[in-house]
Amino acid sequence: MAATTSQGKSLTTFMVGITVAAAGLAYIATGIAKLALVAGLAIIAFALFSFFRIKPLEGPVAEASQPAIMKLAGLALGLGGWLVILFGLHLTPSVTGRMVSTLLGLAITLVGVVVILPMAANKNAIWKA
Amino acid sequence: MRNARSVFCIFALAVALFAGARVVAHADAAPPSAAELKDATAKAPATATMQAGDPGGSLTGSVNDVPVTDTKAGLTLGDVANQVGQNKIGINFTWTLICGFLVMFMQAGFAMVESGLCRVKNANHTYMMNFFVYSCGLFAYWILGFAIQMGGAAGNGNLGGLQPLASEHTLSLFGKTWGIFGQSGMFLSGHAYDVGVMVIFLFQMVFMDTALTIVTGACAERWKFLTFSVSSVLMGALTYPLFANWAWGGGWLSQLGTNLGLGKGYADFAGSGVVHAVGGLTGLAVALIIGPRIGKFNRDGSGNAIIGHDISAVVIGCFILAFGWFGFNPGSTLGASGAGNLRIGSIAVNTMLAGCTGTFGALLYMWSRKGKPDASMSGNGLLAGLVAITAPSGFVNPTGAAIIGFIAGVLVCVSVMFVENSLKVDDPVGAISVHGTCGLWGVISVGLFADGTSNYGGSWNGVTGSVTGLFYGDASQLVAQLVGVGTLVGFVFAFSYAMNWVLDLVIGQRVSAETEVAGLDLPEMGQLGYPEFVFTPEPEHLMTARKVALAS
Repeated sequence: MAATTSQGKSLTTFMVGITVAAAGLAYIATGIAKLALVAGLAIIAFALFSFFRIKPLEGPVAEASQPAIMKLAGLALGLGGWLVILFGLHLTPSVTGRMVSTLLGLAITLVGVVVILPMAANKNAIWKA
Repeated sequence: MRNARSVFCIFALAVALFAGARVVAHADAAPPSAAELKDATAKAPATATMQAGDPGGSLTGSVNDVPVTDTKAGLTLGDVANQVGQNKIGINFTWTLICGFLVMFMQAGFAMVESGLCRVKNANHTYMMNFFVYSCGLFAYWILGFAIQMGGAAGNGNLGGLQPLASEHTLSLFGKTWGIFGQSGMFLSGHAYDVGVMVIFLFQMVFMDTALTIVTGACAERWKFLTFSVSSVLMGALTYPLFANWAWGGGWLSQLGTNLGLGKGYADFAGSGVVHAVGGLTGLAVALIIGPRIGKFNRDGSGNAIIGHDISAVVIGCFILAFGWFGFNPGSTLGASGAGNLRIGSIAVNTMLAGCTGTFGALLYMWSRKGKPDASMSGNGLLAGLVAITAPSGFVNPTGAAIIGFIAGVLVCVSVMFVENSLKVDDPVGAISVHGTCGLWGVISVGLFADGTSNYGGSWNGVTGSVTGLFYGDASQLVAQLVGVGTLVGFVFAFSYAMNWVLDLVIGQRVSAETEVAGLDLPEMGQLGYPEFVFTPEPEHLMTARKVALAS
């Protein structure tokens, strides 16, 4: 499909929505700002719906389906490793202990990011066909 | 008679003490008296003298130029002191703004490097992504991002205090208070309509935009322009500002020193982590979702080199970036006067040295391993060195800077091969390696090479003393840096990945195979980058891959 007027209109709607919502957030203490926030979020939702509606018009892409479970597992490991780092800092006051827990968390994170997620991306890769 | 002599002696002693006290008091009151100020005013060049011109420059700029608050009282010490204060802030404003302008010009360098490394059929699209990302980022940052990042960053003496930015949302955990995000400064309205806030906004905005433009390189030649626009707006509004707040805006990473005693907290002088790693890791996230270009990989998994169309643009773009980096790193002092800011010369030298050794690292590695001093990898080596020195530039000595740059130059070559051959991720310009890998290396290098001689006003992140790395005796600083690395890889990457996954489901990240094969210039932008170019047939492996992709 490539770029079209529908895309342009949807993007315009999205930008209007995000601006109105941000304005509502900026002056949230006032009544009209709360209304603006709700209106902005509604406009954003409408823009996302417009995006979704015109998505099929794009035509087939050279992109294979990636298993969602593997992607979620990769994300979970990434975030899980980060949480290990955060809580590890409070387990011990010693620098060595904190260094060890941080490196452990980093290793878990890296498994998610550079092992699991690329595996998910390449599982059904189009170049394998 | 005897009594009279005693009275006289006491009187004489009292007079002597009184006179002595006056002498001491006079010595303490060193600042000029009103009479002296009046005298200086009288001696200043008269209007008639100035009318004759001042070719030597010795008369221009005198006591006459100091504003007087009360014309009846004339020039006072208060007037002089106010002028000195304003001069300091004026110098710092000017310095920070000029450095910000230099960083803004880096967008041109990024556009040239990325487009030059892409094929001619995608030149317009790649240039336009680099062009439009400026507006997307700036707008999102103005309405929301700046408030999240800097809304609680009050207290910078270099820029007059930034007192309007005094609202940080905090969280109490394990008995400590941690900054999570800022809350003031949306639309630069209300109290944020302030001269100092405007300066810090401009400077931080161009940094944010640098991070955004890195992603366009990693996803070039197949990223749908619509999705790129939405993704960039969200990154400028949320992803970048959040991490930048944690590191620079008074957030929890910067508090690791005060709250947990980890060195001086996470220290990232000019943004190896905040700017480059955030951009590089977001690039990795989107590149994983979007998949490789048609023809990049063969059935056996081996990669094909897809040569860019303009190596001259790449090399010139690299030089523009290296020039802009003199705004990036020395500008991050946010001042040239006071609080140890005279270190700007050392920071600038560190920057150029690391770029130099980075070039050597990449060029020598490629020449030794592949037989040719590869131009695009040499350019990436320069950028890798500059990316890596960005975080430590304010804390290390020139030798440390040279070592950091050289390691980055070699690292970028190894990383490019790892990303392509092991991860099977297609990164047309090497952005993931240059900015992601070397950005993380830059963050770690602070924890190793910081020599403890920098002293920006006596403390860093609220901890007294100078940032000192493992090689100079403080292992805890390295832990703080590794926590930063873990946050970048664990949180920032995951956040970017999840957000762009949703965008993929809702909008679709990738252009159609038909558009990709034709080149994105005409279908996406409506105009070829070079309309008068004669297209030459592409290599056989790309033609075969096209057929497979179109058939699928």
